[in-house]
Amino acid sequence: MPSDLLPSRSQSLPVPTGDAMYQHTYRTDLSQVRALVLQHAREAGLTEARANDLVLAVSEVAANTLRHTQASGTLSFWRDENEVICEIRDGGTITDPMAGRRRPAADATGGHGLWLVRQVCDLVELDSGASGTTIRMHMAIRTADVER
Amino acid sequence: MDLLTTSVATPESDTEPYTLVALDGEADVTNCNALREVLEAEVAKQPSTLIIDLSLLRFMDSSALHVILRANRTMDRQGGVLALAAPRDPVAKMLRLTAADQLLPVYASVDEATAG
Repeated sequence: MPSDLLPSRSQSLPVPTGDAMYQHTYRTDLSQVRALVLQHAREAGLTEARANDLVLAVSEVAANTLRHTQASGTLSFWRDENEVICEIRDGGTITDPMAGRRRPAADATGGHGLWLVRQVCDLVELDSGASGTTIRMHMAIRTADVER
Repeated sequence: MDLLTTSVATPESDTEPYTLVALDGEADVTNCNALREVLEAEVAKQPSTLIIDLSLLRFMDSSALHVILRANRTMDRQGGVLALAAPRDPVAKMLRLTAADQLLPVYASVDEATAG
């Protein structure tokens, strides 16, 4: 595959406007990570179903920190009137540019994590290199979400 | 309090006997080894039907799902059936997205699961 068709591996993602409204460092306390994401997603106006989608996505990415690194990860959370963004940053490296883009075999007993992340989020940005991995998960706040 | 508690029962049944494993709490990568031990111990007893009651499970990640899918494989090989019962909405959605609900039966309640 020509290298220009591969996702960007080297430059870091542009920083969302504004400071992260929340940062949290985690290691094994994934339940706390989920509780924080659920609380912020609800406050931002996501429906319960979409808030739970974001909880699943963030938990799957944070689980990879435990599985593939020896150190802690950082959860950052932004929101504006249009969307909610959760970012997980850790020291791991994802080498497969297609990670999470192919549906795993139904009876696979691995590889569902990033697939789920890409299924439930509106947009997933991934940047990975020798210095670590940043995965940013976006959920749009739809008018229907706010009105409900 | 533990993040995940499991309880195992072999209820009296008018029809076929079955094993019921109830999960309560959140099942994720941090406790899926404990879940594996519980399921493997029950699967090793070769029940004809093993039902996992998910009604009190608030969260399940792919690590926990994989533990269940491995147990399902062994049950298949043994000629038994592993069924899931009463998943809450987020868990039901995750089972749907991974197509796990195509691999093993998912029932709305334990009663429906025992009726088979």
